[in-house]
Amino acid sequence: MVPYGHVLILSTILFFMGAGCALARRNLIMILVGVEIMLNAAGIGFVGASLRWGELAGQGFVLFIMAVAASEVAVGLALIIFVRRHTGSMNADKYRLLKG
Amino acid sequence: MNGFPLLTAIIFLPLLGGLVLLARPDRPGFCRMVSLGVTLGDLALVVLLVFLGMENAAGQWFRMEDYAWIPSVGIRYTLAADGVSLMLLLLTAFLGVLSVLVSWKQIREKVSSYYFFLLFTLTGILGVFLATDLFLFYFFWEIQIIPMFFLVGIWGHEQRSRTAMKFILFTMTGSLFMLIAIIGLYVIHGRQTGIYTFALPHLLETSLSIGTEGWLYAAFMLSFGVKIPMVPLHTWLPDTHTQAPTAGSVILAGLLLKTGVYGIFRFALPLFPLAFRAFAPVLMVLGLIALFYASWIALSQVDIKRLIAYSSIGHMGLVVLGLAVLNSITLSGSLLQMINHGVSTSALFILVGMLNERIDSRQFRDFGGLWKKMPVFSAFFLFFSMAALGLPGLNNFVGEILILIGTYRVHPVAAVFGFAGLLFGVVYVLRMIQDTIFGEFPGEETTLRDLEAREIIILGTLALSVLFLGLWPEPVLNLFQEPVNALISGIS
Amino acid sequence: MKAILFLLIIFPLAGATLNGLFGRRLPRKIVEIIACAALLCSLLMATAAIINMGGGTFNFVLFQWFQAGDLSVAMDIHYDALAAIMALMVTFVASIIHFYSVSFMRNDTDYVRYFCYLNLFVFSMLVIALADSLVFVYLGWEGVGFCSYALIGFWYGDPVKATAGKKAFIMTRMGDIGFGVAVAVLFAHFGTFSITHINPLAATLSTGSATLLTLLFLFAAVGKSAQLPLTTWLPDAMAGPTPVSALIHAATMVTAGVYLLMRLFPVVQQSPQGMLVIAGVGAVTAFYASLSALAQRDIKRVLAYSTISQVGYMILAVGVGDMVGGMFHLLSHAFFKALLFLCAGCVIQALADEHDIFKMGNLDRHLPGVFWLMLVGALCLSAFPTLGGYFSKDRILLSTFIQPGIAYKVCWALGMSAAFLTALYTFRMFFIAFLKRPDGKKASEMHQIPRFLVIILIPLAIVALCDGLLNLPFGVGKRWLGHFLFSVPGAVVDVRASTDLFLGMGILSASLSLSGIALAWFLYRRPQEAREKGWRAVLFSAFYLDTAYRYWIVQPYRWAATLLWRQIDEKHLDANIEGFGISFNAASLMMRVWSTGRLSTYLKAFLVGLAGLLCLLVGRVTLW
Repeated sequence: MVPYGHVLILSTILFFMGAGCALARRNLIMILVGVEIMLNAAGIGFVGASLRWGELAGQGFVLFIMAVAASEVAVGLALIIFVRRHTGSMNADKYRLLKG
Repeated sequence: MNGFPLLTAIIFLPLLGGLVLLARPDRPGFCRMVSLGVTLGDLALVVLLVFLGMENAAGQWFRMEDYAWIPSVGIRYTLAADGVSLMLLLLTAFLGVLSVLVSWKQIREKVSSYYFFLLFTLTGILGVFLATDLFLFYFFWEIQIIPMFFLVGIWGHEQRSRTAMKFILFTMTGSLFMLIAIIGLYVIHGRQTGIYTFALPHLLETSLSIGTEGWLYAAFMLSFGVKIPMVPLHTWLPDTHTQAPTAGSVILAGLLLKTGVYGIFRFALPLFPLAFRAFAPVLMVLGLIALFYASWIALSQVDIKRLIAYSSIGHMGLVVLGLAVLNSITLSGSLLQMINHGVSTSALFILVGMLNERIDSRQFRDFGGLWKKMPVFSAFFLFFSMAALGLPGLNNFVGEILILIGTYRVHPVAAVFGFAGLLFGVVYVLRMIQDTIFGEFPGEETTLRDLEAREIIILGTLALSVLFLGLWPEPVLNLFQEPVNALISGIS
Repeated sequence: MKAILFLLIIFPLAGATLNGLFGRRLPRKIVEIIACAALLCSLLMATAAIINMGGGTFNFVLFQWFQAGDLSVAMDIHYDALAAIMALMVTFVASIIHFYSVSFMRNDTDYVRYFCYLNLFVFSMLVIALADSLVFVYLGWEGVGFCSYALIGFWYGDPVKATAGKKAFIMTRMGDIGFGVAVAVLFAHFGTFSITHINPLAATLSTGSATLLTLLFLFAAVGKSAQLPLTTWLPDAMAGPTPVSALIHAATMVTAGVYLLMRLFPVVQQSPQGMLVIAGVGAVTAFYASLSALAQRDIKRVLAYSTISQVGYMILAVGVGDMVGGMFHLLSHAFFKALLFLCAGCVIQALADEHDIFKMGNLDRHLPGVFWLMLVGALCLSAFPTLGGYFSKDRILLSTFIQPGIAYKVCWALGMSAAFLTALYTFRMFFIAFLKRPDGKKASEMHQIPRFLVIILIPLAIVALCDGLLNLPFGVGKRWLGHFLFSVPGAVVDVRASTDLFLGMGILSASLSLSGIALAWFLYRRPQEAREKGWRAVLFSAFYLDTAYRYWIVQPYRWAATLLWRQIDEKHLDANIEGFGISFNAASLMMRVWSTGRLSTYLKAFLVGLAGLLCLLVGRVTLW
C-alpha cells in the first residue's frame, strides 16, 4: 500500500508544476498544457483517496475529470486555432483588449 | 388633518408640468408657456396656503399630511407647514416664476429639457421645506441637487462640466454623512423605544449620550454647512455661480442656500440642542469669519458673478451668526434675512444675466458707464446694490439690525465685529457699482438696448418685494413668531 | 399737528418718488416745479409747526416698523424746540438751494436724477431732525449718506468724481459702525430705542457705560461731520455740483453729527471724560482745518476746510455743555456757509468752471453782485463784530474758557487761534479771488450767468447778516434762541460768566477777527504767485492725512483682498479640496495596475486568491 501522504505529495508537486507552467509560459498551447497537468494532478489525488478509503467514487471522479478535461482542451484548441488564424500570434501577452 | 392634499399638490405640480413638456421637445414656445403656467399655478396654491395659514391660531403647525409609505421600515410620508416653511414656500414659488421668465430668451437649445429640470428642482426644494419625516427629507434633499447638476452642466458657461461635477460631489459627500447620521438616529431610537421610525416628532424624544449626540450633530452640520455655505466648505459656490445659467444662479442663491439654514432650524437644532449649544461659539466664529473673509475677497474679483457669489457667502455668514446666538430676536432676524437675501441676491444675479445677454462677458473690464446707455437697468442695479448694502428702508437692513442687536445682548464682542464686518460689505458693493454703471464704457461705442417689458416686470416685482420687506416686515415676522417660540421653549 | 409733521416729512419724499418714477416723461419745467414746490410746502409746514407748538414738545408714532421678541422699532417723531429749529433751517436753506439749482443746472441734461436725489436728501435729513426712535434716525442717517454719495458722484463719467463719492460713503459708513454699536448698547441697557424714553433714564447710566456711549456716538458724529480722524472725504466731496456742496456739506449733513449729540445730550452729559474728548476733538479739528485752509488753491476746498473747522466749533460747544451756543453757531454757519458756497458757484460758472483762486481776479468789477454777497458771507465767517458769526463763536469760546481744568484752557487756546486763522484764510481767498489784479480776468473771458442766480441769494444774505439777532446777549429779544430752546434737556440759557470776563472775551474775539482781516489785507492785497514749497505743501495736503490713509489703509486692504483670494481661497482651501478629489483619481490609477488585460495576470490573481481562501479555511478549522 502506498501511504496516502506520498500520493498527496506527488499530487501537490505535480499541481504546482502545472501551475507554474500555466503562469510562466506565454505560449497559449503551453498554458493549456499547464492546465492539463493541474487537472491530472488533482486526478491522482482522487485515485489515492479512493485507495485510502476503499471507495470507488474517487476513481469514478477521475474518469469525469478526464472527460471534462478532454472537452475543455478541445474547445481551447479550437479557440487558439481561430485566434492564430486571425492574429498570427501565439503569445498570450499580445491579447490586451481587456486592459482597463 | 388629511383634507385636500394641498401640500402634495404644491410640491408635485411643477414636476407634473415638467413631464408634460418633456413630451413636446420640438415646440419651445409651448414649453415656455406651460412652465410659466405651472409656476404661476404653484404660486397661486402657495398664496392660498398662506391665507389659510394666516387665519390659523392653533399652535405652530397649521397644515399636515401624513400617510404611511413604507410601514415595514417605519417610513411615513409626512408633510407639515408652519410659518417658516410657509415663507420659504412663497419665496420658492415666486423665484420659480421669475426663473422661468428670466430664461425666456436666454435658453435656445434643448428648451424642453431645460424647463423640465428647472421644474424638477423646484419640486425638490418645495419638498425639502415641507418634509418632516427624516427619510422623506433626505429623499427630497438629494432630489433637489440632481436637476441642478444638469442645469449647470448642460446650459452653463465655459467650464460647466467640471463645475457641475464639483458641485454635485461636494454636496453629496456632505449629505452622505447626514444619511449615516439619520440611520444612526433611527437605530438608536428604535433600540431605546422599540419603535423604528423616521418621523421627527418621535425622534425628538430620543435621549442621546453626549458623545453620540456630538457625532450625529457634526454629521448633520457637515451636510448643512456645505449647503449654506460655511467657510471653509464654501469653495464650490463661486465656481458654480460663475458657470451656471441665470436661472440656475437664481435658484442656487435664492433657494438652495436657504435649505441649509432651514435644515439647521428644523432638524439639527431641535434634535441635538446640547451639542448645538456646546458648539455655538464655533458657529459664531465661523459666521463672522465668513462675513469678513468673503466680503474682503469680493473686492478683488474680476468676474461680476463671482463677486456676487462671495457676497452671498458673506451674508449667509451673518445668518449663521444669528442662528448660533439662539435667542428669539436673532432667530427671527436670521429667518427674515434668509428671505431678504433670497430676494436681493436673486435680483442682482438676474441683472447680471440681463447684462450678459447684451455684452457677452462677465468681466468688469468690459463694463463701465452703463448709466448713459441703459438708465433703467442702472437704476435697478443701484437700487438692488443698496439693498445688498443694508441701506435702511430696504430689506437687508431689518434682518441685519435684528441679528446684531440681538447678538449684542449675549455676546457684545461678536456684535461689534458684526457691525465692523458690514463696513467691509460697503467697500465691494461700491466698487461693483463704480465699475459697472459709473465711469466710462470701454471699447467702441455700441448701443445697448435698455430693459424690455418682461425684464421690467421681473425687476419691478422684486423691487416691490424689497421695499415691502424693508418697510413693513411685520407680517413676515409675525409668521416666524410661533415657530421661533416653539423652538426656544423646546430646547430649554 | 400730526398732519403738519407728517406732511413736513412726506412732501420731499413724494417729490422724489414722483420725479424718480415719472420724471423722464415729464417736461423739464414740471420736474423742477415738483421739486421746488415740495420743498416750499415743507417749509410752510415747518413754519406752521413752530407757530403751533411754540417751543413745546410733541410726540407721535407714524407707524410700527418691525418687532421681534421684545425688540420693537417704530417710525415715530419727537418734535421739540431743537427739532423745530433744525427743521426750519433745513427747509429754508434747502428751498433756496433748490431754486438756485434750477438755474445752476440749466445746461445739464441729467436734471431728473439730480432733483430726485436732492429731494430724497432733504427727506432723510428731516427724518434725522425729527425722529424719536434711534433706528429711525439711522434710516435718515444712512439716507443722507447714500444721497451724498449719489450727488457727489453726480457727474459719474469722470472716475475721479465717482471715486470721491465712494470715499465719502465709505468713510461715513465707518462712523456708522459706532452708531450701530451704540444703539445696540442702549438697547441692552434700556430695552428701547426711543430718545424720549432714553433721555430721562440717562441718569441711571454708570459713568463707564455713559463714556462708552458718548465715544461711540462721537465716532458716528465724527464720520458724518468730517471731524478728525475722518476729515479727508469732505475736501474731495467738492467734486459734486456746487449747490450740493452748499446743501450737504455746509448746512445739513455735516451738522447731523452735532445734532445727534445734542439730541442725546443727557446721555452725553453723564460722562465728564466723554465730554472732554468731544471738546478736544472739536478744538483740534477746528485748528487743524483752519491751518489747512490757509494753503488751498481751489475756492471750494477752502470753503470745505472752513466747514470742517466751523463744525469743529459746534462739536466743541457740545463738549463744554453749551447746547444753545452750538445750535446758534450751527444756524449762523448754515446761512453764511451756504451763501459762500453759492457765491462760489456763481463765480465758477462765470469763469467756465475755473476753481483756482490764483487764476481769478478783477471780479469786483465783473461780478459786483457776487462781490458784495461774498463779502457779507466772508465777514460773517470771520466773526466780524456785530454779525451772527461773531456772537455765536464768541459764546462758544466763552463757555470753553469757563470750564475747569487745564485741558479746556488748551481747547480754548486752539479755538482762539482758529478764529484768527479763520479770518486770515477767508480774506486771503476773498482778496486773491476778487480784487483787481493785472493778470486777472478780463471782461471778454467772463461767461454770462443768469441774474436769478445772484438775486436768489439776497434773502440768504439778509438772514446771514441778521442772524445775530437770534441770540443777542443784550437788548431787546435778549437770548431769544436760548429761551426758545429752554425746554430741551441739557440746554443752558446763559453762560455763567462774570460781566468782566464776558466783555473781555468779546473784545478779544473782535480784535482777533479784525487783525486777521487786516493781516490778510496786508499780505494778499497785491497780486502774487502761488507758492507750493515747504510748509505750504504740508498745509495744502492737510498734513498728509489723506496720503497716510491711502498708504496705510486703502492699499493694504486691496492688496490683502487679492492675497486672500489668490493665495488662500484658491491655493489652499480650494486646492485642498480639489486635491482630495485628485487623490481619488490617483488611487483609481493605482488600482488600474491590476487590470492589465493579460491572461497570466488574471491566472496569477485567481490562484493567489484561491490559496488565500484555502489557508483561511484550514486555519479556521484547525487553529481557531
